[in-house]
Amino acid sequence: MRSLLAILAAKAALKANRLSGSGGSSFPGLIAKKIDSNILEKMVLNNFPRGIIVVTGTNGKTTTTKLIANILEEAGITYVHNRTGSNMERGLISTLAENSDISAKISADVGLFEVDEAYMPKVCRAIKPGTIVVTNLFRDQLDRYGELDKIARSFRGLFEELPTTKLVLNADDPLVASLGYNLESERKATYFGVGDFNGPKLKHDYTADSIFNPFTQEKLHYMDRYFGHIGRYRGKRGGFTRPKPDFVAENVKQKGIESIRFVVNNSTKAIKLEMPGLFNVYNSISAYAAVKISLDLSEKDIIFALNESSAAFGRSESLNYLNRDILLLLIKNPTGLNQVIQSYLLKEKDRLLVFVINDNYADGRDISWLWDAAFEDLSDYKGKIIVGGSRAYDMALRLKYAGLKGISIEPDESKLLEKIEKNSSKRSKVFMLPTYTAMLSMRSKIVAADEKAKEYWQ
Amino acid sequence: MKAIKIAHLYPERMSIYGDNGNVLAISQRMNWRSIKNEIVKVEVGQKIPKDIDLIFIGGGQDKGQVVVANDLLSKSSQIREFVEEGGPLLSVCGGYQLLGEYFISNDYGQIQGIGLFNVISKATDIRMIGNIVVKSEKFGQLVGFENHSGATEFIGRAQPLGVVKKGFGNNPTDKLEGVIYKNAIGTYLHGSFLPKNPKVTDWLLRQAIKYNGQNIKLKELNDELENSARKFAAKRP
Repeated sequence: MRSLLAILAAKAALKANRLSGSGGSSFPGLIAKKIDSNILEKMVLNNFPRGIIVVTGTNGKTTTTKLIANILEEAGITYVHNRTGSNMERGLISTLAENSDISAKISADVGLFEVDEAYMPKVCRAIKPGTIVVTNLFRDQLDRYGELDKIARSFRGLFEELPTTKLVLNADDPLVASLGYNLESERKATYFGVGDFNGPKLKHDYTADSIFNPFTQEKLHYMDRYFGHIGRYRGKRGGFTRPKPDFVAENVKQKGIESIRFVVNNSTKAIKLEMPGLFNVYNSISAYAAVKISLDLSEKDIIFALNESSAAFGRSESLNYLNRDILLLLIKNPTGLNQVIQSYLLKEKDRLLVFVINDNYADGRDISWLWDAAFEDLSDYKGKIIVGGSRAYDMALRLKYAGLKGISIEPDESKLLEKIEKNSSKRSKVFMLPTYTAMLSMRSKIVAADEKAKEYWQ
Repeated sequence: MKAIKIAHLYPERMSIYGDNGNVLAISQRMNWRSIKNEIVKVEVGQKIPKDIDLIFIGGGQDKGQVVVANDLLSKSSQIREFVEEGGPLLSVCGGYQLLGEYFISNDYGQIQGIGLFNVISKATDIRMIGNIVVKSEKFGQLVGFENHSGATEFIGRAQPLGVVKKGFGNNPTDKLEGVIYKNAIGTYLHGSFLPKNPKVTDWLLRQAIKYNGQNIKLKELNDELENSARKFAAKRP
């Protein structure tokens, strides 16, 4: 009875949201939870006959979830999944309420959820996923999440509480790999990793947070470090060391900013992703491992879906603005930003770069992380740079200390597009690097401006 | 001219929240004035060179701090002598705590500090997070971002870095922030601290040059951007 009321209330709130055009996804979940505090648990009970997959970690959650969704679609498996920004408890309840009938029945084979690191224990205790994927763990909005070790400890505790859940872990991230080491529940985690990477590396990478054995604090020996603390490493004999990946990407070859190729487990068929960057290889191989281990899907379907995939919302998304091609590259933390620099900007010398740095709650109030990113690797850059957002001056200062010149500042978001137009020519490519809330607002401004321009010419 | 040598202590374990920006500010503000400088990274088990002119130590996670605290004890007399002789030092957050008498942590009990500063710190349940604005007699307005649950108190005579105008500072009650002893500073300000507070950076540099035995006057730099960034940051919630 209680759950019926909760679902009805959430559905009403969802409808009101849609009518008013507001996209707030957490409010319906909040009401439902107020009415029935166990609503999340009840809504997954007797649903999703083929299981629940949860994806968490600092970077790559949204893209990995999207890749898994594409694979499920290709294999003809129905699923419910939450959108980005709804990855906390309330958002998840909203998503489920939206997809269920009033008796809490959801007609889908699989539940596929991206879950915020901080909400993992709470959410997973309620929904008891069959599979948990951890992409990586890096320092990220420390004002919201606290220190990495605490997140890792909470994950380990959670894994012990869910002894039958399959764990899909990144072998190349020592802290993530250690989460599956010597578990009391004596199960073996499934590991994914990258066997080799000959692409460009950053010279000023300060984001290695976990290069020590998490149990003994001794330094790990790296045979090859790809970025941050991600790479092939080994620990002392008899102790924690890099597990051998069950799913490994090899022969990784990057082709400009357009695509990247690799082979999984010596397959004869290569995967060619239409998005660049080693981090997307990680997103793909983790998605690959997740669907193999939880649903045993065919290699053919997986590869086909990956080859057809594009990046998630605001991450390497190309938008047209007055005949300029604006490439939106979401940045949230130093590692993600470094990956953007490594994959997109290292070869660039003169295209317009636009940074939009906000410090709203969803972005993280602390912008210290800008100082940890590898802007020094861009010191050869000769093009123009525009900085905007509520922390435009901090961003400009960061670039000044990296030795970059030609920076103009525009804290007023409404004037930013005008400035971009003045500083770029038609048919040119513009790289825009916004934080989360800046991405949402710039994206809608660009789309609106472009539609207005189209109407004018029609 | 002999290069000004900066020891960056424990960059691998004590380098969270953009501590790199502090070292970068020290180094760039010398480069822009054509003053030769060298950054020496000193990790656990490594020695601090004898001829250093400035010491920096940043903040870390609690877990890393225990290993660092033990190593610091072996460097204690060198660091204390350096400061007694007028050598400049900056310590931020976790580094600041370890230079006090002791730190009582939640997970690891009492961690012995090197007693350079007359302060003690204790873990609390209050997470002191947010933008912070401090008024300092010596440096004027200082801004940064703080994120700590350890509360620091003075024991005996100690001089604060400044008075808190917004935020927490050393602890939730007395509205004091940081400590300054001779030419050594301890502070909770991240942000990074030095880039937006160039008066502190230049003061540290002047002390380092003096300690190095040179007599050069620091050229004025154009700090318009630094000052704008500080003013904007001070207004943020």
